[in-house]
Amino acid sequence: MLSRNLRFLSRRYSQGVTFRTTETSPSQQNENQIGLFYTVNNDVCKQLFGHGGLPKSYMKQTKTFTETSLMVRLPALDIINCIKATDFDKPVIRYMLYGEIGAGKSLTLAHLLHYAYEDGYLIVHVPWVSEWLRRVPRHKEMSNSPTHEGLVDLPLDGAAWLLHFKMQNQVLLKKGNLKISKEYVWSKREQTPEGAPLAELIEHGITRVKYACDVIDALISEIKILSNSKQCKTFVAIDGFNTFFYPLTRLSTPTKKKVTPEEVTLTKSFMELTKNDWVNGVIILTADQLGVSQDHQESHLPKYLLYKKGFEHIDPFVPVEVGRYSEREFMSCASYYRDRLWLRGPRETEGELKLASACNPYKFMELCAPL
Amino acid sequence: MFLCYNKMSFAIKLTLKQALPIASRSSIILQNVYNYSSKATSQDNFYNNFTDWETLSKKKKVSKAMRAYLERAKEHDEFMKKQQFEYNIGKRHLANMMGEDPETFTQKDVDRAVEYLFPSGIYDRAARPLMKPPEEVFPARKAAEFDEAGWPHHFLFYTGKPNFFKLLYDITENIQDLYKYGDKVIRKKEVTDEKLLLNITGSVWLTKDQLEQLLVETVTDLEYDNFKLAMDRLVSLPHSHIYKDFIEKFRKPLATQRFALEIPKPSYDENGNAFVTTYECLRKKARGDVTIKSPGTGKITINGQDLTYFEDTQSREQVIFPLIFTGMQDKVDIVCNIEGGGPSGQSGAIRWGIAWGLRSFVDKDMLEAMQLAGLLTRDHRRRERKKPGQPGARKKPTWKRR
Repeated sequence: MLSRNLRFLSRRYSQGVTFRTTETSPSQQNENQIGLFYTVNNDVCKQLFGHGGLPKSYMKQTKTFTETSLMVRLPALDIINCIKATDFDKPVIRYMLYGEIGAGKSLTLAHLLHYAYEDGYLIVHVPWVSEWLRRVPRHKEMSNSPTHEGLVDLPLDGAAWLLHFKMQNQVLLKKGNLKISKEYVWSKREQTPEGAPLAELIEHGITRVKYACDVIDALISEIKILSNSKQCKTFVAIDGFNTFFYPLTRLSTPTKKKVTPEEVTLTKSFMELTKNDWVNGVIILTADQLGVSQDHQESHLPKYLLYKKGFEHIDPFVPVEVGRYSEREFMSCASYYRDRLWLRGPRETEGELKLASACNPYKFMELCAPL
Repeated sequence: MFLCYNKMSFAIKLTLKQALPIASRSSIILQNVYNYSSKATSQDNFYNNFTDWETLSKKKKVSKAMRAYLERAKEHDEFMKKQQFEYNIGKRHLANMMGEDPETFTQKDVDRAVEYLFPSGIYDRAARPLMKPPEEVFPARKAAEFDEAGWPHHFLFYTGKPNFFKLLYDITENIQDLYKYGDKVIRKKEVTDEKLLLNITGSVWLTKDQLEQLLVETVTDLEYDNFKLAMDRLVSLPHSHIYKDFIEKFRKPLATQRFALEIPKPSYDENGNAFVTTYECLRKKARGDVTIKSPGTGKITINGQDLTYFEDTQSREQVIFPLIFTGMQDKVDIVCNIEGGGPSGQSGAIRWGIAWGLRSFVDKDMLEAMQLAGLLTRDHRRRERKKPGQPGARKKPTWKRR
């Protein structure tokens, strides 16, 4: 029995390329580790990605493999290096991740989130914009916004996001250094006084769902002020940013009128946030084809996906392409799947898979599923 | 006559009547016959009478059956001669009509001429007009099976199928010989040479029809199966190489290399890289061409796009299958243009095009393997027409017994 285990283990280690690295902190990773997998701590994982942030298929994979491991890839490393080298007194730099479907944009974003968390940033993370604007089960809870005339509110979504925000930034909020600068009056009996901690504002938003979107507005302006006054550095990550600019959403008012994204308060809030009129922060956006309907998915390039308005809004920005796997990355991924006993079969299947998936990471994962 | 009835015994009388179907009976014969009876006479007389019998039989007393047969054989021979004569004359006329030299007009030219002069739309090749030498047209007949006295030449004539049963007899004789030989070898403790063993892969036994043609006799299914069993037994014996020629006569080799003459040579472009283009790649409604560049890296370009041109896995697999099968996935580059049809048709067309082009870069064994894998056959299936009165091409409305 022992000899069999030994054989098994030795087979595992001698097989193929090494695909793991013990360097678990993104800030310490460098080019030597491109293509290697590192494991994220489970608690960190739950904290950061409790309410989404990782693609669904990937979540299923983590459950199968009982671990969350990400591959270190060049785009992520590039951005981390850029962030390390930025001058935080200048206005925020906006990075735009783009690539084909399944190239790895969301996972790159996840990698960067981990880095931000380790570095102590205040994280503002929108897991998936389409969720708000396009995923409409029978009826979406909408209400007309009290503060902004003619605009539509999404209270439940807002509250859910506030919860997500709270969970991600638990540590920073507990410290209690962040205080709001103005007083917010919600109604005759409710108000949040000046100098109260940010946590209180968020709590209010969660408990009083009616005011969730207004709370988000307030929160964003507070974050800007705090960043400008150097009390905290902010890391903004929005996945599927182009959905804000698509002419239609799937929402419709009770009068059956279609709603455009501009008429949703959440859009306005995040537009505010992504303007580069504040300092001491980093903004990372992704442009994803899956965020819009099938008819408009011709190209994956940002200019096409963002439409004129979006392009003008975030111009200037740094485009970063997330491409397919390189040879080494592919072999590393294949070895990882073999190690997890997800991919079985003779050596030749790898060559075939490489051709068939055309090195697209998502396709590769799909193809390995039945094997 | 009176002598006969008085002196011969009844049995002899009967046998005589059956054995001698002679029209007339002269007294001389009867006298001889009388002498054959149990009553012995002098020795000289006996032998003298013997010779008389022989000479008499030489006088060509043919039987009715023999005569009829001879007539038929003569008729057939004349008929065949006439047909041969007509065929030759006809061939010369045809050559004149086509404006070619009658002396050097082969059977192939005859076929071409007939096809040109009598175009036919009939699908069955045997029903179209043909002109062939009479030996091929009229079935073969056996030569005289018995001589004029009626004695059959073949010792198994009375089985009805002498050639076939002679064949079986030969097989069993050979088997018995091989047993004895094997015993001798074992007794002498000799070792057989491995190289002499009979190799029967790559050939099959003759079919029933072919056997019938060879033996000029009908063969029933049971008899044919027995024949095959006997031959298999013969082949399975250890020293069957001794009767190799005998066995080869009844084996037909399978279809072998037909392509060797047709494989195109690769042409060379500016940099000296070899490439081969296959045009007319068709499958269903897709049409296109495929270019294979020899020193390559495994890049595939379809209509200017990557393999992601095909979104579903099946089409991609179809395209890369020939490369993986031959092991050339990172040794060649592929550039193709296709139009028409859908993903299945297009990917099938590309697969055939790649396989067809790879013939120039691959060795003989792999070529055979490719052919066996079905990579090189053109898929000629097209969509079948929907017929009136039916919902689809084959689907029929619900069948009711009454």
